[in-house]
Amino acid sequence: MRFSAVRWSLGVMLALGTLAGCERQDPTSSGPVSDNAKAVLTFASSTEHHYLDPQKISWLHDFRVAELLFTPLVRWSLTDMTLEPAAAAKWEISDDQLTYTFHLRPDGKWSNGDPVTARDFVYAWRRALLPDMAADYSQLLYCIEGAQAFFEWRSNQIQQIAQGKLNADQAWQQAIKRFDETVAIKAGDDHTLVVKLASPTPYFLQLCAFVTFFPVHEASLSKLEKVSASTGMIEYPAEVTNYWSDPAQLVSNGPYMLKSRRFRRDLEAVPNPHYFDRDKVANGGWIEVISTNPQTQLIEFRQGKIDWLPDIPTVSPLAADLVNQKLPTVHVSPAAATYFYNFNCLPTLPDGRKNPLADARVRRALSLAIDRQTIVDRVSRLGQPIARTFIPPGVIKEYQSPSDAGHDYNIELARQLLAEAGYPGGKGLTGLSILYNTGQGHENPAQQIKRTWEETLGVVVELEAYESKRFSELLKGKQYTISRASWFGDYIDPSTFLDKFQTDGGNNDNGWSNTQYDALLRQAAVELDPARRMTLFTQAETILLNEAPIAPIFQYVNLDVYDTRLKGMSDNPWKLRRLDLVSRSGR
Amino acid sequence: MFRLILSRLIQLPVILTVIFVVTFVLAWVAPGSPLDRTDGRRPPPEVQEAMLRQYNLHSPWAFAGSYVRNVVTRADFGPSLQYPELRVSQIIGQSLPVSAAVGVAALIIGLFMGVMAGVIGALKPGSVLDAASLATALLGVSLPAFVTGSILLVIFVGLLGWVSVGGWEWPGWDFWTTAWWGDAWQFLRRITLPAVTLGAMPAAYIARLVRLGLADIMASDFIRTARAKGLSHHRALFRHALKVAFLPVLSFLGPAAAAAMTGSFVVEKVFNIPGLGEYFVNAVLNKDQFLILGIVLVYSVMLILFNLLVDIAYAWVDPRIEL
Repeated sequence: MRFSAVRWSLGVMLALGTLAGCERQDPTSSGPVSDNAKAVLTFASSTEHHYLDPQKISWLHDFRVAELLFTPLVRWSLTDMTLEPAAAAKWEISDDQLTYTFHLRPDGKWSNGDPVTARDFVYAWRRALLPDMAADYSQLLYCIEGAQAFFEWRSNQIQQIAQGKLNADQAWQQAIKRFDETVAIKAGDDHTLVVKLASPTPYFLQLCAFVTFFPVHEASLSKLEKVSASTGMIEYPAEVTNYWSDPAQLVSNGPYMLKSRRFRRDLEAVPNPHYFDRDKVANGGWIEVISTNPQTQLIEFRQGKIDWLPDIPTVSPLAADLVNQKLPTVHVSPAAATYFYNFNCLPTLPDGRKNPLADARVRRALSLAIDRQTIVDRVSRLGQPIARTFIPPGVIKEYQSPSDAGHDYNIELARQLLAEAGYPGGKGLTGLSILYNTGQGHENPAQQIKRTWEETLGVVVELEAYESKRFSELLKGKQYTISRASWFGDYIDPSTFLDKFQTDGGNNDNGWSNTQYDALLRQAAVELDPARRMTLFTQAETILLNEAPIAPIFQYVNLDVYDTRLKGMSDNPWKLRRLDLVSRSGR
Repeated sequence: MFRLILSRLIQLPVILTVIFVVTFVLAWVAPGSPLDRTDGRRPPPEVQEAMLRQYNLHSPWAFAGSYVRNVVTRADFGPSLQYPELRVSQIIGQSLPVSAAVGVAALIIGLFMGVMAGVIGALKPGSVLDAASLATALLGVSLPAFVTGSILLVIFVGLLGWVSVGGWEWPGWDFWTTAWWGDAWQFLRRITLPAVTLGAMPAAYIARLVRLGLADIMASDFIRTARAKGLSHHRALFRHALKVAFLPVLSFLGPAAAAAMTGSFVVEKVFNIPGLGEYFVNAVLNKDQFLILGIVLVYSVMLILFNLLVDIAYAWVDPRIEL
C-alpha cells in the first residue's frame, strides 16, 4: 500500500519527535520487580512468536526473546566480535580439533535456583536431534559424531511405528539408549560437557552460541513429554503447551526470566535474580510490544513508548522514506544477507521444453544486464550496497571475496555471451519469466529487471507473481525459470552461504550441480589450516559466480530505529545483540 | 417462536458439517504446504515428513478424522500451525473478545449515526441537511477502511496525540475503586477510532436504508390516513414510519454484526488491535488449516445465531410477521 501523504506525515512526525527530544515516559506501569534504578526498555516486534522453544526457533523475532531468556555455553562479545565464556567458564579443544570439553561455571543457575548442569545441555541437544521435534536447524548438529546417523535412525524408527511394526514406548526407550551410546555429546560430570565432532568444524564454538544449542531445564520440561501412541513421536500434549508462555512454568538461565506473555500484545522479561552475571545487566528488563503495523510502531516510538524498532521491513517504501530523511534515530548498516535471482539450471523445464538457462553463458548474460545501481538508487531507494558476489564482502573478516566476480553491469559482454550461446539479439530466447511472491516489495525490482533485459538484450520476459505458499511450492518443485530469492547467514563462516548450492543440498533450488564446487566444499570441511580453508571457499565462490546459477543483486541492510540515548546496541551485519548490556541514558 | 429457535438449533450441526466439509476441502486443495517458508533454511525431508505426521497432515483422511474426533470429544481445535505453541482455542479465546468489543462499539456507532442521518434526511427531503447526510453516507460507503483509518490515525494519534494505539487493556470491573473510571476512560479512548472506522460503512449503509425506507413509508396510505386524522408529521415519522423503515436495517444487521464482531483485517492492522480479523486472513495465506477451520466454525456459529436474533427481532418490530 502506498500512501505518500500518510508516509510523509509520519516521517514529519518522526522528525519532529526526534528534534523535540521526545517526551519520554515510563513505558510501563508494571515495572521490573527489582533494580529500580535501571530503565526498563521496550522494543516492538511485528508478529506474535512462532516459538520460544530454543530448539524449534528459526525466526529472527523469536531469537531475540530466546537470547533474553537463555544463556548458551559461549556468547558474543560484540565490541570485538569474539566469543567469550558464558554458561561455560572455560573450554579446551583437542589438538585434532575434534574434542571440545566445556567446564560449566559452578555458579550457573536456572531462574528457579537449580544449578545449570551438563545434563541440561545434553537433554537440549538431544531434543534438537530428534526428528520428533521437527526442528528447522537439526542439521547444525550433524557436525557432532553420531548425530546424523542418530537422526536418520530415529526417523526410520518413527516410520516403523507408523506402520505398526514397533511399540511406541519401547521404541522411545531404545532411542534414548541409542542416543546415549552413539552420539558424542556426554556429560562427564555435573559441570563437564564433552563433545566429539565427526570432522573439524572451525565454527563449532559459534554454533554453541546459536539458539538451537541453548540449554533447556530438563527437570521441568522432560516431565511434560509424552510418547504419542499413534505416531510414536515425543509430543507436549495440549494441556501443557503453555510451558513457553507461562511464567510459572518456564525456567530459564539467561539474564532475564519471563514475567508475562500475552498473545499478540506483549511479553515482559525481568532480570533473573539467579543469573551469574546479574551485576553487569545494564537495564531493568525488557518489554516486547507486538505491533503488526510499522507505521503504528513509528507513532509509538515518537510518543516515547517504544525504545527500539528492529522489525521495520527493509524492502518497503516506508523504509526508504525513513532512511532518506537521515534522522539520528534511524540506523542503517550492511547485513550478512544477499538479495539475488535464481536461475533454473536443469536441462529441461518441467513442461518438457529445453531450458535455455541450462547454458551458463545465458545465465551470465542475464546477470550482466541487471542494472543494480538503478535498483538500489531508484527502485528500493535504500542505497544498499550492490552485490556482485554471493557472500557479502566484508562480513567475514578472514574471507577474501573473488576479485573478478564477473557480475558487473556490462551490456556489451552480455550481448556477446547471448550471441555465443545461439541467441543473437535475444532471438529465440523465449519462455523466460520472473517468479516472485506478492506483498513483500519484490515487484518493483522485478519490473525494473524485466525492462532492462527487454530493452538491452531483446528478450521477452514475463512476470509471475504468487502468494508465498504457491511461490514456495513452485520454487521447491523447480517449476520456474527465474525466481527472486534471499539468503541470510547464520554464523560467521563462508559455509553458511556456500553450502546452499551443494548438489542435493536441501536448499539448492536451482538444480545446479558442479563436482568441482562440491569437492572444494568437502575439502574445506576437513581443512585444519584456517587460511587455506578460506582460500578453498574463495575458489568455490569463484566457480559459483562464473557458472552463475544465481545473479546477486544487492546486499540487504539492517534497519533499526532507536533513540540515540540507547547505549550498547552494537549494530553488526549478523544482527547479533547483547540486550543485557543495553542501557538508556538521561531518563 | 419456540419452534423457530428449536428448528434452527437442530439445523445448526447440519449446517456446520456442510461448512466444515467445504472449508476443509478448499483449505486442503489450496496450493503449498502449511509448513513451508518463503525464505530461510528448509528443514531436511525427514523433518518435513515428521512435521506432517505430527499434525496428521500426511493424509486428508487422517487429518479430518483426528480433527473431528478432537473437536467433538475434547472441544480441542488443535494447534495453530503458524504459532504451534498456542492452541486455536487460545487464539480465538483471546482475540475474539477484542474483535467483538470493537465490533459492538462499531455497530452502536454505525446504528446511531446511520439512523440519525437517515431520519434527518427524511425529515426534510431535498433540503441542505438531506443533501449533506446523503453526501456523508456516500463518502462513508466509498471510502475504504484503510483510508478512513489512516486519516484518523494521522490526525488523532500522530498529530494531536489524543489517543494511543499501543497495547490493549480491558477496563477492570471493580466498580468500587476509583481506578475503574481511569481504566474505562483509557479503554474508550483506545476503542473509539477503530470503532468509528469500522462503523463508517454500516452507518452510511443504514443511513441510506432508513432514508429511502422512510421516504417510501411516509408516502404510503396508512401514514396519509394518520396524517389526515391530525397526527403531526414528526409523530407519524417517529411513532409509525421509523419502526417499519427499520426492518431492512434489521436484515442488514445480522450478517453485519457477525462480520464486525469477528474482526476486520484492515482496521486491526491500522490500529494495532489484537483481534481475530488479522489472524483470519493470515491463516488463509499461511494455509494454517487448524486456525482456518476453527475461525470459520466460530464465525459460522455467530452468523447463524445473529440471523436467528434478527428473525426474532423482526417479529417483535412487526407483529404481522409470523415465525
